[in-house]
Amino acid sequence: MKKLYFAIAAVVAFGGFFTSCSDDNDEPKWNDDDSKVELPESRMYILNEGTMSANNSSISLYNPGEGEPKFVADIFFDQNGSRLGDTGQCMIKYGKNIYVSVYGSNYIVKLNTACVQEARTLFSEDPELQGGVRYLAAEDGYVYASFYGGIVAKIDANTLKVVAKLKTPGANLEGVAIENDCLYVANSYEISKNPETGQNDYIYKKDLFVVDLHTFTLKETIVVEQNPNKLLEEDDKLFLISWNYGRESYVLQMIDPDNNNAVTEIGYATNMAAGDDMLYIVDSRTDYSNWSAVTTNNTFSSYDIKSGRLNTASFLKNAPVELATSSISMMTVSDSTGDIYIGVTNYSDSNGVMYRFKNDGSYVGKFDCGGQNPRDAVFFY
Amino acid sequence: MGVVAILSFDVSAADVDSITGKVHRIDEVTVTSRRAPNKVATAVPVQTLSIDDMNRLGVQGVADAVRRFAGTNVRDYGGIGGLKTVSVRNMGAHHTAVSYDGTPVSNCQAGQVDIGRFSLDNVGMLSLAVGQTEDMLQSARLYASAAVLGITTERPYFDDSRNARFRVTMSGGSFGYVSPSVRWWQKIGSRVTTSLDGTFLRADGNYPFTLVNGKNVTRERRNNSAIDSWHGEANVYYDMPDGGDLQVKGYYFYSKRGLPGAVVLYNPVSTEKLWDRNAFVQARYRKSFSPKWELQAQAKYNYGWNKDTEEGPQFTGNHYEAVHKQNEYYLSATGLYRPVKNVTLALAQDGIVNTLVSTMTGCPDPVRYTSLTALSARWQSSVVTLSGSLVGTYITERVKTGDRPHDIKRLAPSLSVSVKPFAGEMLYFRAMYKSTFRVPTFNDLYYDRLGSRVLRPEKADEFDVGVTWSRSLFPAMDYLSVTVDAYYNDVTDKIVAFPTTYAWRMTNYGKARVTGLDVTLSTAFSLPWDIALVVSGAYTWQRALNVTDKDSRNYKAQLPYTPEHSGNASLIVETPWVNVGYSVVAVGMRYYMAENIKANEIDGYAEQTFSLSREFRFRGCGLTLRGEIVNLADKQYDVIKFYPMPGRSWRLTGIFKF
Repeated sequence: MKKLYFAIAAVVAFGGFFTSCSDDNDEPKWNDDDSKVELPESRMYILNEGTMSANNSSISLYNPGEGEPKFVADIFFDQNGSRLGDTGQCMIKYGKNIYVSVYGSNYIVKLNTACVQEARTLFSEDPELQGGVRYLAAEDGYVYASFYGGIVAKIDANTLKVVAKLKTPGANLEGVAIENDCLYVANSYEISKNPETGQNDYIYKKDLFVVDLHTFTLKETIVVEQNPNKLLEEDDKLFLISWNYGRESYVLQMIDPDNNNAVTEIGYATNMAAGDDMLYIVDSRTDYSNWSAVTTNNTFSSYDIKSGRLNTASFLKNAPVELATSSISMMTVSDSTGDIYIGVTNYSDSNGVMYRFKNDGSYVGKFDCGGQNPRDAVFFY
Repeated sequence: MGVVAILSFDVSAADVDSITGKVHRIDEVTVTSRRAPNKVATAVPVQTLSIDDMNRLGVQGVADAVRRFAGTNVRDYGGIGGLKTVSVRNMGAHHTAVSYDGTPVSNCQAGQVDIGRFSLDNVGMLSLAVGQTEDMLQSARLYASAAVLGITTERPYFDDSRNARFRVTMSGGSFGYVSPSVRWWQKIGSRVTTSLDGTFLRADGNYPFTLVNGKNVTRERRNNSAIDSWHGEANVYYDMPDGGDLQVKGYYFYSKRGLPGAVVLYNPVSTEKLWDRNAFVQARYRKSFSPKWELQAQAKYNYGWNKDTEEGPQFTGNHYEAVHKQNEYYLSATGLYRPVKNVTLALAQDGIVNTLVSTMTGCPDPVRYTSLTALSARWQSSVVTLSGSLVGTYITERVKTGDRPHDIKRLAPSLSVSVKPFAGEMLYFRAMYKSTFRVPTFNDLYYDRLGSRVLRPEKADEFDVGVTWSRSLFPAMDYLSVTVDAYYNDVTDKIVAFPTTYAWRMTNYGKARVTGLDVTLSTAFSLPWDIALVVSGAYTWQRALNVTDKDSRNYKAQLPYTPEHSGNASLIVETPWVNVGYSVVAVGMRYYMAENIKANEIDGYAEQTFSLSREFRFRGCGLTLRGEIVNLADKQYDVIKFYPMPGRSWRLTGIFKF
């Protein structure tokens, strides 16, 4: 009898399990509700920052895989019938949604996998948040946003309602990343009147705030290179680029949360991306010595996060010559294929260009970004 | 009716250009005449607008007037308080000098003059000269400019036995616009006249506009656009017994205005405010010692102050404030000599000191010393007029911190010729070449991180060939005047913000090639029943190409904000009962960014203005009532993308003279 009971229980249990699996399989791979555009299965969405005061930030769709379409410029407009706004700042993927912060327009928007808007929250009516939204990170049903003015906002990832605000001791906050249930926030600079000269001086900060996400309180402040800006997490480590204008280039540091947030300087970098335990680095330097015939030179290198080894050889193979002297505004790595994408800006002169490489560094091709100043990208495969 | 006071500044030119010969002497001191056309005898294009015509056409301000000149490109950021600058033939606003009663107006920090702040209340005439103007008795600074916008104020005149004249003006209109002004002209003895002008202006400026964002079409208001401004001016004119003429002017301007900035989608917050104070004292002395010798001497002290504030949590204490103070000390002397018949020589020498003290980060409190020397010569026969000039510039700068820029030493020539092949025909052929440059502004040199202290001057070479013709075809026609000018400008070493990775710096990088055609036409008729018609129009075709980098996607792309086609037309009907003015300004499609793609296009527009005015006279007093409707068709348009211009608006003005 017991055997029969267990047999029935097992059947029910497994039946339930398979039912669950079956339900999962029936669920569409992507949430493309209300899409007006035919979409490929594999998608790379590119956030183009645009030019300040031109309201021309945009999101473009690039199909890195098979099928059609291959590319849709400004798919945000096509899907939603209105423009993204002024100065796209940050785009992240969280679950089956995309979250975008738009700095000049000062709002965040939640999109489905077809780039159709599901929710948005404007911050312009909140005096504490009028400084402008900057970077985003998400975990456990919440999106965390940094703001100029020193605020970190905790936002319901479903409704986009601000559920809590943390006033940090910082001034203008930049990059954010989450590790070990803590939010790391870069405190970059403030403009302050010098009492002696009367001039408005830039005061560069050296703070990396650590916010406990359980209590949403400031846990500690880490001292880093001045003017910390871009921040990302990979392999339980944090990587930070500080825009220290006093050094020969911007400074790349690693913060180890498992080692009491120890800060290690890795070298110089102006942009970075991470994937497959590897940090891809570019150090762009402009030579002013022969002013005004200035030239920019890019040095590509990589950092093996597991071994802690910096490989100064370029991770790129047969890259187009012009990439060595172009202005690189973003790098990203596809989380499914490991392909490396390097976005080049032509500023407000013309649309940016994206260069694609396989994860072994071999060159695949390049394409127009469909907007100015490519800044971020997310992938759906 | 149909008369325009010919003021002292224009007498010589009017003598040359007048084709009607219909001059009526009203009394011993004031000469009035039929309206004169644009100058056709000049070797370079010169366009003028009198205050009477501006009033009859409902012109709203200096910027509104200037955009009616062929070849101009006025950048208007919208509203009464919005910045307005003028670029002539696409050489850039920095290349256009503005003279106020013959003395240059400057702004060494920004390099371009906001012509929006000049009131029309005491203006008598506006002129725009491209290249080298024919007036040889001018300062070296004006010789050194690629184009000169001349603002000439009305000089007091007394057409009866009274020694004093007063004018009270009250103007009001849409968007909270109110502007009272007073004027007092006084004759003191037989040789001294004075004038006092005071104008107050306020406006809410919060005009409605339609914002189209894809499928979302909303009606918005241009908030944070309020302006309060004061303008006061005092002039003393001394007609010296020895034949000299001395004019001393004191000027004060104050304004507080909101700067709404660009319309930003989804974010209406705008807190930036700007305060301006500008005061100057200038003196000009002119004397003709003999038929061979003339002298002009000028002196000016200019004080400029502005404060820019913004609120928001991104600023320490929620408040940002920047203050800039500029001083200019200016001396100029020009001697004119006619050694033999048909030959005129002039030598002009200017000395200028400019200072800047600013809260701008790292501002080194620069002091700029400028010496300008202009030698010019003209040979004139009944058929040919040949003019040439050579301007020598020496600039040296001192800074409290950091490196000082290299000294600038340059020579810049100009040459022009005008040919009148037929003695009895007002037909002229003209050609002109002028080399000019603009020096880096204080912002170009010292702006925190963006500025570069190794900039070279930005060079401009202008070429113009044209034909002008004017005559009266039948008795009722006062004149028919046509000018056609083709031009080519080469701007090199353009000073631009150059993007390098993570560091924008000012550099001499850009090159522009401008090819264009300006056509103007004007005619006037005297009809029965004291009715007069004045018709004028201007058309500009322009290709202004970016030729900076052959490998760039934008090589040979049309420069931003440059319409290929633009023009305007106006009609004035003067009757004994009422004067009617109608004008239309039309601008074709432009790009607002460097890349010539559909997404960067701004639609063209046509803005119409209609005005009615009438003057009543009684017991030696005069009352003029004027009504204007601007943007008659309520066309929604931008001059600068995302700086929407007002829709239909009205203005009523009453002017009481006694």
